[in-house]
Amino acid sequence: MALALVNSFAPDRRLDAANKTAAPVIDARNIAVKFKVEDGMVDAVKDITFQLYRGETIAIVGESGSGKSVTARTVMGLLTKRAVVSNRSAVHYDGKNVLKFSERARRQLRGDRISMIFQEPMSSLNPIYTIGSQIVEAIRVHRKVSRRDAEKRALDLLKQVQIPDPEARLKQYPHQLSGGQRQRVMIAMALANDPDVLIADEPTTALDVTVQAQILNLIRNLQKQLGMAVILITHDLTVVRQFSDYVYVMQHGEMREHNTTEALFANPQHPYTQHLLTSEPRGQAKPLPPNCDTILEGKSVKVAFMLRHGSFFKPDMRELVAVDSLNIELRRHETLGLVGESGSGKTTFGQALLRLMDTDGGEIFFDGQPIHGRSRAEMRPLRSRMQIVFQDPFSSLNPRMTIGQIICEGLIVNNLGSNKAERLERVKEALVSAGMPSNILSRFPHEFSGGQRQRIAIARAIALEPEFILLDEPTSALDLSVQAQIIDLLRKLQDEKGLSYLFISHDLKVVRALCHRVIVMQHGKIMEQGPVEEVLSHPKTAYTERLVRAAFEVAS
Amino acid sequence: MLAFSNSPPPPEEKIKQKSGNESYLALVWRRLKRSWTGMGGLTLVVLLLLMAIFAEFIAPLDPKATDTGFAPPQVISFHDKDGNFVLQPRVYALAETSDLDPVTFQPIVGPDYDHPRLLGLFVKGDPYHLFGLIPGNRHLFGATDGGPVHFLGTDKFGRDVLSRAIYGSRISLMIALTVVAIVTVVGTAVGMISGYFGGTLDAWIQRFVEVVLAFPQLPLYLALTSLIPVTAPTNVFLAFVIVVMSALGWAQMSREVRGKTLALARIDYVRAAMAVGATDRRIILQHIFPNVMSHVIVTVTLAIPSVVLLESFLGFLGFAVKPPLISWGLMLQDTSTYSVIGSYPWILTPVAFVLVTVFAFNALGDGLRDAIDPY
Repeated sequence: MALALVNSFAPDRRLDAANKTAAPVIDARNIAVKFKVEDGMVDAVKDITFQLYRGETIAIVGESGSGKSVTARTVMGLLTKRAVVSNRSAVHYDGKNVLKFSERARRQLRGDRISMIFQEPMSSLNPIYTIGSQIVEAIRVHRKVSRRDAEKRALDLLKQVQIPDPEARLKQYPHQLSGGQRQRVMIAMALANDPDVLIADEPTTALDVTVQAQILNLIRNLQKQLGMAVILITHDLTVVRQFSDYVYVMQHGEMREHNTTEALFANPQHPYTQHLLTSEPRGQAKPLPPNCDTILEGKSVKVAFMLRHGSFFKPDMRELVAVDSLNIELRRHETLGLVGESGSGKTTFGQALLRLMDTDGGEIFFDGQPIHGRSRAEMRPLRSRMQIVFQDPFSSLNPRMTIGQIICEGLIVNNLGSNKAERLERVKEALVSAGMPSNILSRFPHEFSGGQRQRIAIARAIALEPEFILLDEPTSALDLSVQAQIIDLLRKLQDEKGLSYLFISHDLKVVRALCHRVIVMQHGKIMEQGPVEEVLSHPKTAYTERLVRAAFEVAS
Repeated sequence: MLAFSNSPPPPEEKIKQKSGNESYLALVWRRLKRSWTGMGGLTLVVLLLLMAIFAEFIAPLDPKATDTGFAPPQVISFHDKDGNFVLQPRVYALAETSDLDPVTFQPIVGPDYDHPRLLGLFVKGDPYHLFGLIPGNRHLFGATDGGPVHFLGTDKFGRDVLSRAIYGSRISLMIALTVVAIVTVVGTAVGMISGYFGGTLDAWIQRFVEVVLAFPQLPLYLALTSLIPVTAPTNVFLAFVIVVMSALGWAQMSREVRGKTLALARIDYVRAAMAVGATDRRIILQHIFPNVMSHVIVTVTLAIPSVVLLESFLGFLGFAVKPPLISWGLMLQDTSTYSVIGSYPWILTPVAFVLVTVFAFNALGDGLRDAIDPY
């Protein structure tokens, strides 16, 4: 009974609930897309059917590789040349199957009736044209209007997306705008021709949490004003819950379940949906054993960068203080969270504490020994005791080295293990501890998924049997369910090996699940610190409150 | 608290079994095979190298033996005197026939059908020493009677153009490969050191690179090569040319490698290596070098044709290789007068060899560029 709901569309219930007119704006049936690869074809999307009604927001949810973006791009006609759309697929817009349209007809539809905004606002705008001319172009491609009228319309659009000082923005270039503002410009361009449908492909993933809420609210308000239908493609269940009316859950190119948002969250039917919903980070750190001694201590640590302004001949050197005289103390067995928006200096602070970056003042002690001012050679004896795991598992593993070489490197460098066999044994042990099989030593990193790579990166760190690991956003590049596994793994390793973590993150949900204490940073300064529950439930500063609200509520 | 440990493990965590542990080279080879230009280039490059290595065997004649000057190319024919098709190819020497031109009463020059010279593979001909060591007299192809056949005609001293071009590939490619080898070693080393250590060292090295790049290269070649006395032995002269070309060529390579290194030195896996305490030497050799290599290999295949071109150009001006050595550029020196080109166009054929070489290496380089970063 439960599974009978899956793949069976229940239009009546949905129409009643939303009180819509009968015909959907977009009626996509049996979308199937394959990609040509080196040895044959790979299914990206298999038989996806969905409907979008006027004035409605549907969410297509899924983890990376689930085919949600491919589905959206099929609707837009923006697939790469290697993609093959099945003949059975049909996307009806306004009663006509757009998949049968000529490229020219589709181009007229695209950006006019159906618009799309992308994940990366940094690369979707052309850096060499002004904001104004790009919006004007978007209008004049589809409408025969004079340049002056188009400019007027561009200004209206910028006002509509609530960019401060819109007149001045028209003349500015993309690099002069922040990420959130660029995404607003992208939205303005998408709205330029009053589209019926707006497809938002992970519109806020590249943005800071606090900006995310603003952008999503903007999309929602505009939708109400203009009566658009919105397809929201995302992996973030909090976003789905707050902003969509109807949810489609995808996995491996197949539709697992669809239902109204309320019903889906209240009563998920498919095991995958249930799994997704329980993957939200939960739980909390185990209480610390009493009388733990301090392992890492920083006293008024300062890091500054020299920025060069002005002309070549009259340089005006300015100091940017990334870390402004901060104190920190981390005890054994403890996990200390370091949170803040991008640019708050948290990564710089973390790397400075490990002496991977030079400091401009302050003292750092590791296990009681002063390590500030030590050269790289002098740091070497301590290196095996402090390790680091990076955010992006794709750039933190050398693509030309095998997994065995990658993990073994630290052992060789630090002369750990008396011979090759013993080292191999330790490498295997580390892999098993990190939840990977031990027979992958001769494989290369590209053969593994993001989550697996992150486990390998963790194995590299724990192979040296460190006492302290700096975790620099180790979960933010990963899918939700993989994220949950990595958090589990980190907890387990801490228990078994008595590790101390300094956990850098912008995701307060993960911080709450993993950390004992938390430090909130902004512009290189500590805004607030304390036990994690206390800080998150009773934030003292407005900044922390904003972060907390963004993480747990999204809507502000 | 671990509520989700009961949920099914996501299938994403299964490890791909099929791709196995293919080595890097196997991956590159598989992707190169898909590009037909790349494979075409590779085939031509291999053939060119074989031609240069086994020049004595492949060339039909001794390149220094003289015959009639400016003799035109002899055409391979499959017909006998009566115009019947015959299987064995042959050439007919041009000779005065017994007929007289009815207007001028000059004897008519035409093929001498009565004395066909049969052609064959693996024929005996001029004796040689392969690699200067192994004596032999078999040639890949030629006249079965061992006499001279000029498929591409002869030059002004009556030397066989085809044989000289085949021998010439040896010096031309040798210069190109040596120069590129030196340029690669020096350029890569300087580039990696400059990019990895950065700071003041980088600034000084880059200023020096700029000085080298800013030199007007052509006048410098001419000036430097004229420094060496005309009476100097040919091999000394050749070595000097190679040194000059390398000295001016490494700067560009080091620039490119430095740029690549700058990006790599800040990538996470290099930081991770620093975090485990790796030395600079180890980081450069284990982490930066293998990742710069792909770029370097492509640059090398594209640099070889440019040196071949430079050699032919300088050789034409008489500055690269001196007789009795043979190179394509030197052969082209004969084409410098108008009347010669007009009357004896076949002495331009070394240009075709240069063209093929340039095309072959460029095609291979393009194919490699796509194949070499399989990740």
